[in-house]
Amino acid sequence: MAEIMPADGESRIRGLYRLLAVYNGLVVFLMAGFMSITQEKIVSSMAARTFLSSLPIVPLPAAQGFLLAAGSFLLLVLLGFLYRRQLLRSGGQYVVFLAETGACVLLMRSLNLAYDGVVLLVVADLMHRYQGEKQSWLLVGAMFGLYVIANYNLAVFQGHVAPFDAYAAYYRPSVQAWLLAIKNGFVSVNLILFVSWLVLLVQNKHREKERIASLNRQLGEANRKLRAYALEAERMAETRERNRLAREIHDTLGHALTGIAAGLDACIILVDAAPEAAKKQLAKIRETARRGITDVRRSVRKLRPDDLEKLPLRHAMARMVAEFAESSGMKIRLVALGWPDHLREDEEEVLYRVVQEGVTNANRHGHATEVIVTIGTEPGRVYLIIADNGAGCSEVKPGFGLRHMRERLELLHGRLRCWSDQGFTLEAVIPAGTEKGEAYDIDHDRG
Amino acid sequence: MRMSADAKRRLGLLLAAVLLLVLGGLYQQRQQPVTLRIGLFAGSNWDVPDSDSYAVVDAAVEKFEREHPGVTVSYVSGIKKEDYSEWLAGRLLSGDEPDIFVIPGKDFNLYASIGALQPISETGSRDPSFSWEVYYPAALDYGRYDGEIYALPAASVPTLMFVNKTLLAREGIPIPRNDWTWQEFYEICRRVTRDTDGDGRIDQFGVYDYGWRLAAVANGVRLFREDGKASFFADSRMEETVRFLRELHKLEQGREVTARDFDMGRVAFRPFTFAEYRTYKPYPWRIKKYSSFEWDCIPLPAGPSGSSSSSLQTMLMGMSARSHHKGLAWQLLKEICYDPEIQKLTLERSQGLPVRRDVVESGSLQEMPDTASPGGGLDLRVVSAVMDHAVMEPKFARYEEVMMRADSELRGVIDGSIPFDNALNRIQKEINGWLQQ
Repeated sequence: MAEIMPADGESRIRGLYRLLAVYNGLVVFLMAGFMSITQEKIVSSMAARTFLSSLPIVPLPAAQGFLLAAGSFLLLVLLGFLYRRQLLRSGGQYVVFLAETGACVLLMRSLNLAYDGVVLLVVADLMHRYQGEKQSWLLVGAMFGLYVIANYNLAVFQGHVAPFDAYAAYYRPSVQAWLLAIKNGFVSVNLILFVSWLVLLVQNKHREKERIASLNRQLGEANRKLRAYALEAERMAETRERNRLAREIHDTLGHALTGIAAGLDACIILVDAAPEAAKKQLAKIRETARRGITDVRRSVRKLRPDDLEKLPLRHAMARMVAEFAESSGMKIRLVALGWPDHLREDEEEVLYRVVQEGVTNANRHGHATEVIVTIGTEPGRVYLIIADNGAGCSEVKPGFGLRHMRERLELLHGRLRCWSDQGFTLEAVIPAGTEKGEAYDIDHDRG
Repeated sequence: MRMSADAKRRLGLLLAAVLLLVLGGLYQQRQQPVTLRIGLFAGSNWDVPDSDSYAVVDAAVEKFEREHPGVTVSYVSGIKKEDYSEWLAGRLLSGDEPDIFVIPGKDFNLYASIGALQPISETGSRDPSFSWEVYYPAALDYGRYDGEIYALPAASVPTLMFVNKTLLAREGIPIPRNDWTWQEFYEICRRVTRDTDGDGRIDQFGVYDYGWRLAAVANGVRLFREDGKASFFADSRMEETVRFLRELHKLEQGREVTARDFDMGRVAFRPFTFAEYRTYKPYPWRIKKYSSFEWDCIPLPAGPSGSSSSSLQTMLMGMSARSHHKGLAWQLLKEICYDPEIQKLTLERSQGLPVRRDVVESGSLQEMPDTASPGGGLDLRVVSAVMDHAVMEPKFARYEEVMMRADSELRGVIDGSIPFDNALNRIQKEINGWLQQ
């Protein structure tokens, strides 16, 4: 969070905190110094007996009292530093904070409870640390706790410290009034500093929240645009593909068919008058048709998946499976019980697509972690089994994916079965090596 | 962010260094020779002249140093009694108070309550070579605050009645027994108060300096609540006391009895503290100059509602709660306040009395050379009985001040210049007002 906080606000808060700490140090120094010097003066002016009779305890010797106050303040600051820098583990943090509170109590005692402003320094430390969402509750709790400590301190130690008034009573009444005013002034200024720090902190927090909200809005907007753009891009790709197809058909089939149609028209006229010429013409038409077939084949090849284009089926399939396993995190095993020898390109493609679709479904719908893809051959056919360990489904509702697969297979006179017991299993079978079907007559020409 | 290994190592080193310093400091302190300090004042605690006020302490210190080689004991000499309270307060405030010190009675409650004194009830009870039983109860109680003992008595002084044997013999009156009462006392005073030379003026008296304080104690009056926040001047026994003193005063028929009258042998009775008695005696020229009479000491007469008790003045010594050598300080305190030899020295070399009953009772007049002179004698068994029956003086801070305030009023009531009516109620109200301020 610190990174996205505006730097100037942060540094102002830190500056004010430092001011608060330095100010408290100054007050502690002055108060402890005042009490120590007064104590020395009381001893040297022979007023010790009267002074002692106004106290509930024997105070520490002047120098010791001063050193204790200074020492406990330094300890408080050091622990506060440790706490804010979070140099220790979370368990250690609590210990540090407890120790800091302890140092605060010690300091207040050594100052004879005359100044309780250091409590605010501890509260500031605590707030500095917790900037999470629980901060407000924690803060209220901590403030409450620290003030209870402060008041408990007052209640319990009141009878055990030399009151500030007893020290002030050593001086003339007019001086006493000044001393009291200065002491109250110390407390007030401390309060003002603390409240300013608090306001700055809250302001900073508010600003930060606004920044985050605005960033969120921008992000949402960008997201929406991106989605629209993706849709657009998809549509464009489709259109481009359609155009390409149209162009291919126009360039290849259209061209050949036009040639054939024109040639046949000539033949119709020629066939009675000059059968020989018509024969020649027909030979030409055949040539045109053959060229057209070659062109169509080339076009079809252009539409095949890339891997399948470049690699043999087994390698393409292995690579596709490995890539998918890597990207999805599923464990996919490809078991080849036998590879069919001579598959047509369309048959290869269908097998390739079935595996691709099946594995995708296992991941997407079945949430499977493990898939076994088995490919094998039997005389006259090739079968493919895709079994996963996913959720499966009680009743298979063929979606677009399954229906599409089935349609593709049916074109090859194959069939698709699926069931779910432990996971989901898909079985695809196509006749292999048979050369039936009008749609692929063009392949005869390869033969 | 976790602490890096480097920072950890540095922290470890720092801690080790601190530990080493502390241990070194402790070792250094161990090695240094121990010096115990005593706080005490010059002169007598009993407001009587004293030429050799450090004699007992010096002897105790010498004995202690002999018994504890390596330990030295020192004290600041020459602090006057009237400066001592302030001196002690100054030391306490500066944090360099002596390990053990004499505690002025009016400061005792304050120092016990603010924790300047080390409580010693437990220490004393645990010490097998120590027993509380040897002390006179009133002396021991003087060092008690809120049920806890904070100081041991070092010496005590009871108040006794001086009797002019010569005068009584001349009047044909036997010396009163130790358990005499106000009635006998009044009777004797009435008989001796007369004009002996026939000039029409009374020149022989019953008693000098028998004040309401003494009479009140002898009549069992308890004037103050323990905490010194309330007084009981309107008590019926106090009324009885004042009535008695008024009667006694009337005998003098307006003549003011003076110390000179007593010195001249013209007064039958005079209360003396033991210390006053001892310092009165070393100046025989004072008596010899004017007159010569034989005298005796007996307890004070008992009032109808009380016994013959008197108040016991006690000098207290306590330990500082901040002493670094509490064990040794306790031994030194015991040396002064408990050791029979030193206590016996108190009898011989100071104006006070030992606080140990066995030491007082085994003492003899020969050990008190100043009292061995002709003129009178002192039976220490009588003194011991007086001390056993004594009550301790109240010791709250404003005791003396309040008593002074009451004194002028009561004197007026006793000599008849202030009507008696409900004077005591009025005084009680006034005093309570002061006490609660």
